[in-house]
Amino acid sequence: MVNSYIPKTYKEALNLLAQNELLIIAGGTDLMVKFKSISGLLPKFKKDMLFISHLAELDFIKKEKNSIHIGANVTLEKVLNSKHTHYLLKKALLIMASPAIRNMGTVGGNIVNASPAGDTLPVLYVLNTKIVVESLDNKRIIPIEDFIVGPSKTILKENELVKEIIIEDKSFDYMVFEKIGTRQADAISKISFAAVTNIKNSNISDFRVSFGAVGPRIVREKELEKKVIGVTIDELNGMCNLICDNYSKFITPIDDQRSSAIYRKKVALNLLEEYIKSIK
Amino acid sequence: MSNISKAIEKVDSEEKMAGKAKYINDISYNDMLFAMTLRASESKAKIIKITYPKIPKGYTIVDYNDIPGKNFVKIIYEDMPIFAKKEINYYGEPILLVVGEDKAIISDIINNIHVTYKVQTPSYELKNSVIYYEFEKGKAKEIFKNAKKIIHFDYSTGYQEHVYIEPQGLIGLYEPDKITIIGSMQCPYYIKNAVMQALNSGEKGVRVKQATTGGAFGGKEEFPSLIACQIAVAVLKIKKPIKLIYDREEDMEFTTKRHPSNIKLQAAIGINNEIQAIKAYVALDSGAYIGLSGVVLQRAMIASSGVYTIDNIEVAGDVYETNTVPNGAFRGFGAPQMMFAIEMFINHIASELKLDPFTLRNKYLAKQGDITSTGGKFRDVIIMDEMIKKVMKMSDYKKKYLKYSKKDNYKGIGMSWFLHGCGFTGSGEQKHIKALVKLRKEKNNFVTILVASVDMGQGIQTTLRKIVANILQIPVKKVIYNNPDTDLVPDSGPTVASRTIMIVGGLVAQAAKLLKEQWIDGKEITIAKRYKQPKHIKWDEENLRGDAYPAYSWGVNVVEVVVNPITYQVELIGIWEVYDVGKAIDERIVLGQAEGGVLQGISYGMLEVMKNVNGRIQQKNITDYIIPTSCDSVNIETVFIDNPYLLGPYGAKGAGELTLIGGAPAVALAIENAINRRVTKIPVTPEYIMELIDYGEN
Amino acid sequence: MAKIKFTLNGKEINITIDPTARLLDILRDQYGLVGVKEGCGEGECGACAVLINEVIINSCIVPMGTINNKSIVTIEGFSETKRYEVIRKAFEDEGAVQCGFCTPGMIIASESLLNNNPHPTEEEIRIGLSGNLCRCTGYNMIVKAVKTASKRGEGLW
Repeated sequence: MVNSYIPKTYKEALNLLAQNELLIIAGGTDLMVKFKSISGLLPKFKKDMLFISHLAELDFIKKEKNSIHIGANVTLEKVLNSKHTHYLLKKALLIMASPAIRNMGTVGGNIVNASPAGDTLPVLYVLNTKIVVESLDNKRIIPIEDFIVGPSKTILKENELVKEIIIEDKSFDYMVFEKIGTRQADAISKISFAAVTNIKNSNISDFRVSFGAVGPRIVREKELEKKVIGVTIDELNGMCNLICDNYSKFITPIDDQRSSAIYRKKVALNLLEEYIKSIK
Repeated sequence: MSNISKAIEKVDSEEKMAGKAKYINDISYNDMLFAMTLRASESKAKIIKITYPKIPKGYTIVDYNDIPGKNFVKIIYEDMPIFAKKEINYYGEPILLVVGEDKAIISDIINNIHVTYKVQTPSYELKNSVIYYEFEKGKAKEIFKNAKKIIHFDYSTGYQEHVYIEPQGLIGLYEPDKITIIGSMQCPYYIKNAVMQALNSGEKGVRVKQATTGGAFGGKEEFPSLIACQIAVAVLKIKKPIKLIYDREEDMEFTTKRHPSNIKLQAAIGINNEIQAIKAYVALDSGAYIGLSGVVLQRAMIASSGVYTIDNIEVAGDVYETNTVPNGAFRGFGAPQMMFAIEMFINHIASELKLDPFTLRNKYLAKQGDITSTGGKFRDVIIMDEMIKKVMKMSDYKKKYLKYSKKDNYKGIGMSWFLHGCGFTGSGEQKHIKALVKLRKEKNNFVTILVASVDMGQGIQTTLRKIVANILQIPVKKVIYNNPDTDLVPDSGPTVASRTIMIVGGLVAQAAKLLKEQWIDGKEITIAKRYKQPKHIKWDEENLRGDAYPAYSWGVNVVEVVVNPITYQVELIGIWEVYDVGKAIDERIVLGQAEGGVLQGISYGMLEVMKNVNGRIQQKNITDYIIPTSCDSVNIETVFIDNPYLLGPYGAKGAGELTLIGGAPAVALAIENAINRRVTKIPVTPEYIMELIDYGEN
Repeated sequence: MAKIKFTLNGKEINITIDPTARLLDILRDQYGLVGVKEGCGEGECGACAVLINEVIINSCIVPMGTINNKSIVTIEGFSETKRYEVIRKAFEDEGAVQCGFCTPGMIIASESLLNNNPHPTEEEIRIGLSGNLCRCTGYNMIVKAVKTASKRGEGLW
């Protein structure tokens, strides 16, 4: 049996983290499955636990000038229903898991879980999301692509907690989120895809693309994006094959019990191609 | 109550809704212990040695040494042990139980038992045939020898896992001269007979009671006999109540599934493009033990000409053993595999011959009086013409088919025609089951139905009561029908093979009619009725010749889909279904069978992927093994056309299995129509569709 | 171990318990609320669904440490309400119950949906039930039942 801490305040949670090696649990929708034991027995947690889902300091959604701030404890369902939530993020949340999971799972948990198949991640990547982490004596604001370093791996330190995420609040001329799941609802992604584009005077002024479940990390290649900034829509369409070729080497999926590598790669590139063609 | 089909309140739904119905895991006893299974970690091996940790007081190991009777689970063949002795034949094969009070300690003991194996080479290929059957109708062999043109296609089907929402589970109870098994099951007497053989006890030494059962679909036909024997042996040794409940993963990895199959079909084509003969070969993967596989093979082979009358047929089939988890009964029992293959094949013959598939199918559609694949006769009126017309009108099939066939619009529509034999194959009812039912009129004029058939969701708690109440002209509330208890009810046979309404219900109806004649207010009267095969039904079990079934239910399904050419995903647009089940005893209950069955069949055809790699099931939980959600289902339009069967109660025939059988071919044909490529295997996944679009033939 | 305070079907409960224990086990084993079923143990099937602060949650993946000061309603508690009566009758009339193992969870899902959206469209109903697996019915009779309950329960939600 492990020890559990249920702090009264956010400050107390940071204090506990400063003194102990703890596994942080919010809604529990990932951890309770990952450490599942036999029915009737306690989950097989290896570390002492820090419960945070009740901390009101982390339960907020705020709109600022060009960004939305979402506290780490906000449930996915609340984000889905908030009027401040970006259209694309709503789209991802609406087909993510099931109502019961969305009622329990949190934004912070979803990010720290860092699953390459995590449904919100490709959207958070293209919206240039930043993660605010805090420890008792420090605060860091880290771009999401630097925060997540591999499957279930982040650069969160032992004494740190994810406090909030900051999502760019910007509208785009072309936006898409596609989830290719194993079924219509309550499914795990075989592939997910998010892309946003802005056009200024017939030229591409902003172009961002990301893929989920096609490799150990979410794929977002800013160098490739830069190559199309400034080109005309016609030029972009003309570059379609080249762009797909360029992305091809970053799309390195695997065969698993849910799909095949060949399928994932082909469909990922189909989605990109289709998206580029939709920009007219 | 004049119209038997008019829906009445389902008698068990209120307690189920309120959470008051007691499923096996909801039942507890004082002093009750828990059991968990130690399983083999090799696919093929000999056990050299087992070393145990220190076993604390109150904890017990139960293995083959504790079995007083035979170490075989009585099914058909004596091949599957209750506990592995020396030989391991599949990964996960049960070796022993650890029994005790605290699950944490049991789990700890299991983790610290060390089994030393001498590993042998497992076989995962279909090489080792353990059962072979063949039969011929007409002169198929001769025709094939001289055939000018032969069309040949190979088909294959995958596993299907039942995913009853309630996992397997049983409790065993001890009395000095009796072991009682309570649990989630379809066949109380199968379990009773299996446990008697394991314990080497007499009739009175074993009692089996059904608890409310949370779905079964065939998965609780023969499998519970295995765990019942294990628990019975444990209870005999420890003399306390013991509960064994599977977690979902254990259930998915180590219980029976639908047999994967490979089916080769050939047609000899004459000079006028007529089908002169069909040759069918079926290979079933039984897994490590035969279980019911031989009977499943028979049903598949008998279905080899589908709803069509072909004068010359040659059929053969093998059951192959592999070092994988044993496969078993699943709604449809061999028919879904064959019906998929033959429905695709007849369409593929048409496309090879550049004929209109609808015309070709119609030409061979069976009519009353035609000879069946086994040389029996379709004795009763067949109303498929009317059913097909109806479903085509409902779905606007013709117009859509033409439209979707022409354009590359990725829309498709498919139609399947199918039948299902009701009751046990051949003389099974007469020779092996010999069903006996009783009705007892109590002194208070209530009437108790005494049968071993179980309600597993299909509604017989309601429909059997309704039959009795209707015949006796008494309120349904005055008919008592408790979950079966082998100490109280006769052996009316297992709850399988679409036999419960037609065979058991038929006997119950006959008994009710007799009771009505003998009715005396205030007096206790018991009426018994045993099954007698209609004289005209003749079956040669050795050679699979004659009337394979006393009656057939028929169905037509239409499925419309749209395939996404970017992602290859399939979206269901609509489902239309028309059935002849004789007469629906309760329209709403039969509608529930129809809607649930067709979706299970469609998802077998497009969604449900289960693979075994090196003896290990890859999809071990319901996150990875995909069954439909409410968002995957679409509106279904269902029609039943009455075609009463003389010997069924109120004309009723079987309905439970029929409704699953047409789903897979209908959706596969719809996808074929949408992508203009030939589909030869199920499930038709997006991965397979991608392959077909890139490399497939049209 | 920690002290946890919550209400269970309207009654206030104070217990000392391991905060990592599953709510499902506590409901079934300590409080005998066996209408809450275990179908998968990993939050996928919805058979163990309960209402926590009026919304559906799968109790098999809820650690006790997260329910402090919350209100838990199981099927046993919900079945005492007027809303339940409306849903029950609709399920009955539409033939939404077969084996019944998913049914308490389906009813909890229906309540959670209707409480939040008294007049859902068919699509919204399908989404609302999408975390509750049923292998018997093919779902449509359940979807119709929720529609019927929504109509008949005018003003209740």
